[in-house]
Amino acid sequence: MRRPILMTKRGGVLCCALMFLTGFSFSGAGPVAKTHRVEIRQMKFNPSHLSVKPGDTVVFINLDMVTHDVTEATGQSWKSPPLPAKSSWKKVARTSATYYCSFHPVMKGAITVK
Amino acid sequence: MKHSERITINALALLLGMFVFGSTVLAQGNPTLSDAEVASAAVTANQIDIDFAAIAEEKSKNAQVLKFAQTMANDHQAVIEQAVALVEKLGVTPKDNAVSQQLKADAEKTKQQLRSKSGKDFDKTYIDNEVAYHESVIAAVKNLLIPESENAELRDLLKAVVPALEAHLEHAKMIQHEMSGK
Repeated sequence: MRRPILMTKRGGVLCCALMFLTGFSFSGAGPVAKTHRVEIRQMKFNPSHLSVKPGDTVVFINLDMVTHDVTEATGQSWKSPPLPAKSSWKKVARTSATYYCSFHPVMKGAITVK
Repeated sequence: MKHSERITINALALLLGMFVFGSTVLAQGNPTLSDAEVASAAVTANQIDIDFAAIAEEKSKNAQVLKFAQTMANDHQAVIEQAVALVEKLGVTPKDNAVSQQLKADAEKTKQQLRSKSGKDFDKTYIDNEVAYHESVIAAVKNLLIPESENAELRDLLKAVVPALEAHLEHAKMIQHEMSGK
């Protein structure tokens, strides 16, 4: 009985070559996304400027005793819920943005996605 | 241990200088306060700004002023809660003293001024007072309450409050600047 082509040695090589040519990899697509930490303490985002790759996650952690939030600068794109003391919020970075705390507008930060 | 219950004449001069509208001039010399008195003064100073915010929430129709007042009420309440939790942990009972009493007396005058205003006049008076009050409180915390605190945790709490007070001051100045442009 004749075996299906994918189960033969020649079929396996062909299959691997095809996967290589189409960009498929066994480890998934592209580099693994990272998680970055932004601490909110002493009424500042720290670091206030962060460079990340598309798809990376940014976690904001409020270490102050007062409530903060993280609001995209135009107020139109995205905004965290109020973050009481010791709470956190995360966002997957897709595009660059500047942001501020809507409760304390003197607190500002930026994420550069590249 | 600094547990003197007396407040010196210098302290009264200092406070009168600090808490008069708009004045940030600090007199020379510091009073002697116990930690219980420092805690009382800190809680009183925070409560006063909550009271000012309550008047603003009642009288203002300006969205920016209302949001600022809400933030003041929430932030100063959070500070009071931290202070109360700390003094309970330390077994200290906040003790009324000449500093707290002077703060309350000056606040009453300010509240009367605020209640006598309305509309844009109220908004301007409230924000001008927030600028002056935060300038005075920052000076008092830095130059009086922190140096007078014997307990390290109380001192650390007061130090942690300073950046919030400074952010409030900058926020109030920002609104003041925008109002002056209208």
